Amino acid sequence: MKVLLVDDERKFATMLAKRLLLRGIDIDYVYTGAEAIIKAETQRYDVAILDVKMPGIGGIELERKLKELDPCLKTIFLTGHGSKTDFEAGSAEAACYLAKPIQIDELLTILREVAG
Amino acid sequence: MIDRIRRVFGPIWPDFNPQDNKHLDPYLTFTDYRTIWVVGISVLVATALMPLLVVTIIHYQLLQKSVDSELILRAERLASNARRAATFFLEERLGALRFTVSEIAYDQLTDPDHLAEILRNLKLGFGGLTDLSVIAHTGTQAAYAGPFNLEGRDYSNQSWFIECQKHYFYVSEIFRGYRDVPHIIIAVKSLRPDGSFFILRATLDTDRLIQTLSSYETGAHAELFLINRSGIVQTPSRHHGEIFEKMSLSVPVYSRRTQVAMAEDEQKQPIIAGYAYISTQIADTPFILMLIKHKAGMMQTWQQLRSNINWFVGFAILIILVVVTLTCSYMVNMLYRADKSKAETMALMEQSNQLATIGQLAAGVAHEINNPLALINETAGYVKDLFVLKEKFHQDDELIGYIDDILDAVERCGTITRQLLGFARKFEVKIQKVNLKDIISDVLVFHNKEAAYRNIQVHVDVPEDMPPVESDRGKLQQILVNLVNNAFQALDNGCILDIKASPAGADKVRICISDNGCGMPEDNLPKIFEPFFTTKEGNKGTGLGLAITYGLVKKLHGDITVISKVDEGTTFTITLPTRVIKEISENEGSTG
Repeated sequence: MKVLLVDDERKFATMLAKRLLLRGIDIDYVYTGAEAIIKAETQRYDVAILDVKMPGIGGIELERKLKELDPCLKTIFLTGHGSKTDFEAGSAEAACYLAKPIQIDELLTILREVAG
Repeated sequence: MIDRIRRVFGPIWPDFNPQDNKHLDPYLTFTDYRTIWVVGISVLVATALMPLLVVTIIHYQLLQKSVDSELILRAERLASNARRAATFFLEERLGALRFTVSEIAYDQLTDPDHLAEILRNLKLGFGGLTDLSVIAHTGTQAAYAGPFNLEGRDYSNQSWFIECQKHYFYVSEIFRGYRDVPHIIIAVKSLRPDGSFFILRATLDTDRLIQTLSSYETGAHAELFLINRSGIVQTPSRHHGEIFEKMSLSVPVYSRRTQVAMAEDEQKQPIIAGYAYISTQIADTPFILMLIKHKAGMMQTWQQLRSNINWFVGFAILIILVVVTLTCSYMVNMLYRADKSKAETMALMEQSNQLATIGQLAAGVAHEINNPLALINETAGYVKDLFVLKEKFHQDDELIGYIDDILDAVERCGTITRQLLGFARKFEVKIQKVNLKDIISDVLVFHNKEAAYRNIQVHVDVPEDMPPVESDRGKLQQILVNLVNNAFQALDNGCILDIKASPAGADKVRICISDNGCGMPEDNLPKIFEPFFTTKEGNKGTGLGLAITYGLVKKLHGDITVISKVDEGTTFTITLPTRVIKEISENEGSTG
């Protein structure tokens, strides 16, 4: 399972990626939407973990662009908002969402479910 | 006791400014209801009383003129009648003497018995004669008929004898003479066939003349009397001098006709004065008939009528005053209650807006805190992973670095929490020194993320030497939050928000918040500070933000203006005093 993590909170992205790596997940992480698109153009991913609010290209728009490149890509959204409402209003097609701070075991479970 | 007095006088002296409503003052449309009440009552009273007073005054003047005219007419008629009577009295007796000297020869007249017979007949025919005497041309009395023995007396040097020689007829003033009894002498000169002359003289009793004049006196306020041409009183007068004394009034100028005019007596009391110079067809007389009417006495009936009218007008004025005061008090009180109700709604709306702002901030803060918390969570989790999954990091610098990251993240949370608490302090109303640069930074910290996401450039220009403002920090912060929120909603991605502060004169500062967003049509500008006015589509705007902002600016004794053009942008300019002199009451701050 190949995973792409995109979050503008650089240290958070780094930490989460390191933890997933320790658990055997093959993960790439970038800090902006633009970098993510470049990565996706050169590499196929099974699942993308996207922060919803990011400068430049936001999570919702990034999902649309990534799916244009790979329609089979599954996405998990991360949001700093405690409420589900904003997120649901943003994208009804999202595979799943997780509110920060996330539980690593929960993320792993969802990753496995999404990747099938 | 005070409450009872207020209840009693409430309808006519309403309390428009109770102490427990002071916190509503900034929201009231009209601030000085007492002035409105006073002006309203004054205008209504003036409008209601003016016609009444004007009509009353005109009525008085017309009535006065009419009464004066009527009094003068009556006095003129009375004086004319009395003049005719006095003239006739003298003329009749002069005519009788003239007839006597024409018809009866001198020799017969000097016969005492015949003269006595003539006197008796004259008394029977005319009355008022006391005696009759014949004076020869030498001035010696030739015959006498009457009660006194005056035969042989010489009158040659007496003025009446000389006058009668000259003018053939003579009427004397009233005088006492040898007998010390008031009387009048009338005399007629007659020529004898031998060329000499004689004079027939009669003494007239003044009582008859006085009775004649008295019969014309009407009422206690009018008097008729005679004076001579020197102003000496000839017949009794009640108020204007004793008989044979100088009259208290001046002698009127000669006129052939009867004259009547308004005048004043020696006590400056108004009188109606009439006079007539008495002159018979046979001879002139020294008498002037005087008619004096005391106006005050004559006007008693009219004064009573005027007093009744005054009472009626006074009562009408009292009724008008009470009705106008009650009506005006009721109307202004209703206006005040409506305004107060609106003010209470505005205060509640401001409270709601504050709560909404808190909610908005709380959501923003939660988001801001969640990110560092997520980092703490991941970093701590990673440290735990390292300890659990690997055992070689006991003295590892990398591990120390990660722990520092945790501490940094905690610090970030602490910063945000402090800012949140600082923002919450806005609800404690107190005047304090506020640094505009700091407060603008505090407000913008919650918009930094959105500005970054939407690529909105925020320029803040506050001079370094900008003096601190003494104001209510919380309310100033809320004003800026509302205006910055408003700007962010108007801005498209990639636009610019400018916030500038500058001194405006010695005791004011100006804060301009400009955006180059969608702007507003000119027609909307006068209405944007009205409650519930919004141009935002759907349910995005409540229409309260700018209305509350306006109220807050006014509360800080400032002013707010707006300039906007469609597709060019909007600039809000707030002018605030550097020092809020008036203390804001504690009640205003209790809404949070």
